Order: sequence, then C-alpha cells, then structure tokens
Amino acid sequence: MLGILSRRLLLLTLVLAVFAMLVGGFFSELAIINGREIVVALVADFLRYSLGLFALLVITTSVAQDYEFRQFERLLTMPLARWQYIVAQVLVIASLCLLLVLPVLLVISLYSEWMVGLYWASALWLEIFLLGLLGLLAILSLEKIPLAVCFSIAVYLLAKLSGLISLMLGESVRFSDGSLTSRFVDFIFGAILYLLPGLESFADNNVFFGNGDLLQTLSVQFFSTVIYALFLIAVCLVDFYRKEFNL
Amino acid sequence: MRRAERPITQLPAPLIWGFGVILFCQLLFHYSSQQRLEASYQALENPLQASIYRGISMGSDQLLGYLLAIRLQLHDNQMGRHFSYSRIDYHQLVDWLQQITQIDPASEYPMLLATRVYSNTPDPERLKLILKFVERSFDQDPQLHWRRLSEASLLAKHRLGDLKLALRLAEKLALQPASVVMPGWARDIRFLLLADMNEFESAIAIVQALLQSGAISDPDEKRFLEAKLLDFRQKLIETQQSGKN
Repeated sequence: MLGILSRRLLLLTLVLAVFAMLVGGFFSELAIINGREIVVALVADFLRYSLGLFALLVITTSVAQDYEFRQFERLLTMPLARWQYIVAQVLVIASLCLLLVLPVLLVISLYSEWMVGLYWASALWLEIFLLGLLGLLAILSLEKIPLAVCFSIAVYLLAKLSGLISLMLGESVRFSDGSLTSRFVDFIFGAILYLLPGLESFADNNVFFGNGDLLQTLSVQFFSTVIYALFLIAVCLVDFYRKEFNL
Repeated sequence: MRRAERPITQLPAPLIWGFGVILFCQLLFHYSSQQRLEASYQALENPLQASIYRGISMGSDQLLGYLLAIRLQLHDNQMGRHFSYSRIDYHQLVDWLQQITQIDPASEYPMLLATRVYSNTPDPERLKLILKFVERSFDQDPQLHWRRLSEASLLAKHRLGDLKLALRLAEKLALQPASVVMPGWARDIRFLLLADMNEFESAIAIVQALLQSGAISDPDEKRFLEAKLLDFRQKLIETQQSGKN
C-alpha cells in the first residue's frame, strides 16, 4: 500500500503545502504583527486536517479492499491469528503517519524553529495515528468506505468540538430553567465524552505563538494518545474476533 | 476674434428641455449611486462570546484570535472600497476587541489595533471608548500592555487635549510595582504631564523622590532627571515671580 502511494503522497503533500503557504502568505501581508507566526500556524493547521483526511481515506480504502477481495478468508486459512492482522494494520498506520509527517517536519522547520517543527511533526504523528486507528475501527465494523470515513470524521470533530457542544448544552439547561430533557441530553453528552479523546490528545497549535513547554505538552498528548489508542485497538480486536467469515 | 453667440432663449425649446432632463437624470443617477454605496456598507455584527470562539477554534484559539483581529482590521474595506472609521459603531468595535482579547489574552494585536488604527478618529467620544478599553486591558495585564497605556496617555494629551485623563493614565503606569518591568521613560510621563499642567511642585517632588530612591541606575536617565529637575525649579521660580508681579 505504501509503495504504490508514496509518489502520489509526496506530490499531494507538496501541492497542499504550497497552497497553504500561499494562503498563509496572504494573511501574513495583512497582519500588523506576528505575520510569520500566523503563517506557520495556518500552514500547520491546514496540513493537519488535509493529511488527517488523506490518511483516513488511505486506511479505510486499504481495509475495504481486504473485504472486497476476500483477503480475510485467505488470511484466516493461513496459520495466522486474527490479532496479528490488527497488529499489522496498526504498524501500517504508524508507518503511513510517519511518511506523512516527515515533509511536515521540513515545512514547519523552514518557517519556524526546528524545535517547534519537531514538536509539530511528533504531535501530528500522534494525532493522525489516533485518527487512523479510529478509521480502522470504523471500516472493520461498518465495512463501507463512505460510512467509515463519515463516522471517523464525526467522532474526530465531536472530540474537537466537545468544549463548544458542552457549552451549548450547558446554556440550554440554563435557558430552559433546568428542564429534564435538557439535563438528560447534557448528561448523555457528558457520558459520551468519556469515550472520546480529550483536546489534550491533539497537537496544540498555540505553540507557534511562543508559549508553553513543548516537551510537557507533547508528553501529555503522548500519554493521552497511548491510552486512547489501546482502547481503540481493544475495540478493534473485539469487533474483529466477533466477525464470521465463510472459509 | 470671438464668435458671436445666440442667446439661450433663441435655442429650440426641445433642445433646452432635453438638456434639462438629461442633466436631471445625471444628477439623480449620481445621487442614487451615492445612496447605494451608503447602503452597501455592512455594519459590524455583534461578536459571539469568547468561549464560543474558543470552542469553534478546535484547539487553535490563538490562531483564530489573530484571524478574527485581521478580519476586524479589514472591516473598513468592503467591496473594494475603503469606508471611513466614522461609520463604525465604536461600542461594537470595542466589544469585538474585548472578545478577541479574551480568546487570546497573551496577544497584543487587539490593543495595537485600538491604539494605532482605531484611535485615528476625530470624534473625542469614540477615542475615549478606545482609551477606556486600553485602560481596562492594562488593568488585566500591566506587563503586557504598559506600552499601549503609555500611547493612550499621549493620545489623551495630544488628540483629546484632556491633560487630566492623560495624567490619570500616566499615574497608573508610574504607580506599577517594580515587578512590572518597563523602561524609566514610561514612568516619567507622569511628571512631564504634571509640568505641562504647571504643577511644578508635584513634578519636582516626584523627580526628587526618584533620584533619592536610588532606583535610577542608568547614568543617562539620571542626567535627564537632574536636567528636568533644574528646568522645573527654574520654571517654578518664574511662575512665582510672575504671580507676585
């Protein structure tokens, strides 16, 4: 999978990076101060979302092809355990993410300090890795690319916008004078949040404006990602072991 | 030799009427274009709460703060035309600046927009709104915003001609504890304003206290203060003598 995609991947990353730089350059011209920081933060966020979506598409397509070409049935006739397939997929996702973030490291280091570039590349690797695992879980369960991609993006955005949604639900409870329905919805969302990664699991864009301890931010994200990744892998295993294949 | 002209009354009536109608159409068209342009100005909308913007930013709150500030900065440019700041509702403008400051309290951008861009208004009431915003922001973070407050003090003096307001702002700067690091000139604005207000005795007392406190270590600044002290004493004597005469 990686061999076929590497050239396209490089080209697409370059096109995206150039586009992001042009947009960032426009904002930099307008900004009175901190023009360079705004450009690099904008480019970094642009790359984050575009590469995240790209990784999601690659991963879901790859597993969907395994379903389509009955690879699972073939694999299960070999002396391979199901967990080995999941581990292999996790390693593929990790490698794909690494390939994706290497150009990011170069681009960000060119615009900013290399330490910040290194932080962003590492943090982005963790974030895309998490998104990739989410995609893996979605495609294993739902088996259809559009459904899996939509589900993964929905969960990702839900996690990222959890603060805003909690705020809205909190306001809704306040405006409805604590009505039972509002409180129930607020409670349900609060419960759902326990199953979503927190904002600390994602790369922190504020580092481009020069505040915060990079190492500490990265370690918090690392531990948060490890715990959530293990949870996702566990769910993938449970789901995959429950599947029936016609051997 | 100048060619003779026929009187207007001798011209064909349809030509005169036609000219009048076309002139009226031209004036009407120009007036309606102006009206259209006036109507095309989109006023500032109310900003959302800072907490909502923070939620929308998906973790990139500082970047969003800068982008909102740039959007606000571009508000006076609409449909390829620049509109005067007099059209901007300064209450809403200050509200926007306030929300952007809350999104990213570490950013100087909203304060810079306030003191360098939106202070360019001939309306004293609008300028006072801007100065109040600067003062409020300074109260929240004196270390970050001392430079903007010193600018605000100068704006109050030179643009508003309100020496009392300028002095109040300068006193805020001067009375900050030593933990708020700023150059000596920022604290010196107070006694310079006092001298402008002919309050030489107070100015002399402040300069003397500064020199005696031992807080001034820079020889250039010490020389400047000593020169000012002499100058103020001279002016005080002159004032007292002119009062007696």
